[in-house]
Amino acid sequence: MTGEVLITAENVGKRFPLRQGVLHRLSGQPAPAVHALNGVSLEIRRGETLGIVGESGCGKSTLARCLVRLHDCDAGRIVFEGQDIALLQGKVRRAFNRRVQMIFQDPYSSLNPRMKVRGILGEALGVHKMRPAAGIPGRIEELLALVRLNPDAADRYPHEFSGGQRQRIGIARALAVEPEVLVADELVSALDVSVQAQVVNLLLDLQERLHLTVVFVAHDLRLVRHISHRVAVMYLGKVVEIGPTEALFSAPRHPYTRALLDAAPELDPARRSRKVAARGELPSPINLPQGCLFHTRCPHAFDRCRTERPELSPRGTGHLAACHLADFGKPETRT
Amino acid sequence: MTDVTTPMMAARRRRVLPRPLIFGATILLASAVVAVFPAQVAPYDPNAFDYGALLQAPTSAHPMGTDNFGRDVLSRVLHAYTIDMQIAFFATVFPFLFGTVVGALVGYAGGWAEVIFGRIVDAVITFPFLVLVIAIVSVLGPGLVNMYIAVGVVGWVFYARIIAAEVRVQKRLDYADAGRAMGYTHARIIFVHLLPNAITPAIVYWMTDMALAILLGSSLGYLGLGAQPPAAEWGVQIADGKNFMATAWWISVFPGLAIVLTGLGFSLTGDGLAELLRTKR
Repeated sequence: MTGEVLITAENVGKRFPLRQGVLHRLSGQPAPAVHALNGVSLEIRRGETLGIVGESGCGKSTLARCLVRLHDCDAGRIVFEGQDIALLQGKVRRAFNRRVQMIFQDPYSSLNPRMKVRGILGEALGVHKMRPAAGIPGRIEELLALVRLNPDAADRYPHEFSGGQRQRIGIARALAVEPEVLVADELVSALDVSVQAQVVNLLLDLQERLHLTVVFVAHDLRLVRHISHRVAVMYLGKVVEIGPTEALFSAPRHPYTRALLDAAPELDPARRSRKVAARGELPSPINLPQGCLFHTRCPHAFDRCRTERPELSPRGTGHLAACHLADFGKPETRT
Repeated sequence: MTDVTTPMMAARRRRVLPRPLIFGATILLASAVVAVFPAQVAPYDPNAFDYGALLQAPTSAHPMGTDNFGRDVLSRVLHAYTIDMQIAFFATVFPFLFGTVVGALVGYAGGWAEVIFGRIVDAVITFPFLVLVIAIVSVLGPGLVNMYIAVGVVGWVFYARIIAAEVRVQKRLDYADAGRAMGYTHARIIFVHLLPNAITPAIVYWMTDMALAILLGSSLGYLGLGAQPPAAEWGVQIADGKNFMATAWWISVFPGLAIVLTGLGFSLTGDGLAELLRTKR
């Protein structure tokens, strides 16, 4: 499952400027901004499922939106098949949009409430000229079957469906243009647990049949572990660890990953631990900590962490972590 | 994964028309018929003088009485539908269309477009509406077409403001982003996706505005700046009757009631449309 690299994020940064007062502007201080992404670097390989996890507000969704170019990044670049996507214009850009599609988190706002399912799917097919006009109704039926909806769903409005059904309509819309990459932003977090499995299994099934590359953004660690080939852990707009799923979950090499895993509730009482793996609150993304972004909460922080920000460095096959403690979590030295 | 249809879903799909809409639309439809065929429904010529029947109280021959020239008030009220319904429509349709397009573009663009637009809105709403229209009409000269122009110059702002506010909300929703991620053009996102979700308040306001336009047309007619006598127009008729209020109330009261009834028709239609077009989520 290690195909060629399809998308590369190189040091991607994204800031959202905040409103500033006249006095502040005159004082000459730097304009306040939410630093959503602070140098994200990762690779997405063809055919794989890359899970992206992290706490709320760590920049997962912003990264997902940058990958499909709903946001333009302020720093660094995202390269798709050797081309910087920020430079794509007109037809080429539309072709990129067709090949890299997104599925949204909220099934209630991601479908136009005034359009029937037929209109939603037909529009995507028509604009990208996926089929001649005569072939569109048939293709709509195929797409609905693909996401396991009845053909009569085509002539209904989104409000007539449940959350899970709507999410499947969202998947059908993305698949209408036959993309190669699907970016799923919290695909199931708005759904009931019983429906989550259905939708996730559908996605996995489609991935296999259509050879899709999936970027799966989620905060549910168990779900991500279950479906991903590789996982990237984000903290305050930076990837702190990335690696093959099993390696990362069984032997996390970054204190934050360890903290995340320890914080996940354990069903077996014997395995529960009361040890605090990370203390305090997530720092404000407006005033980022100096040095390592995690040092304010890290139980292992030492002087160097407060001044120097660690970059991703290799920890094993395809396993990278951004921590000054190169031996942290190493299997033989593990405490 | 079977899609079950519950009775509630079935009822929703059946689309029962809201009752206000039925009443309102009935009034408006009847008004429109009278407006197009006044001569067929009116018993007399609206401008025919009858010096044998001056200032007569309502009788079976003249159900709404006659005025100081012996003209049949009923026939004049019915003929006035032609002008007043025209005013209602033409004084509002251009502001509605223009305001909708400008509002959609401004709301979508945001930023400087919105700042500039906000100043224009401020400039217009600083003046009382009627005063501004009277000022423009006095410059252009009295008459219906000039009145349409005056109302249009001022009125589009209100539609644009409503639409801009709605589009600003809609453009942040995920379905707009989904359109962008699909590579749809801005024009398609604005006019195919956002506008249908943003336009309902403007349509409802349009209905109210048509009622207000009739009032405005009548006010201007009353002041001698709109429809000119001897044309049958409700405002003109009310003005004609004002000197006879104590002795012949019917000359002014029946045109007034016609205004009330038509206004009611527009308001009910507006309410009904608001209910019918409500976005279901």
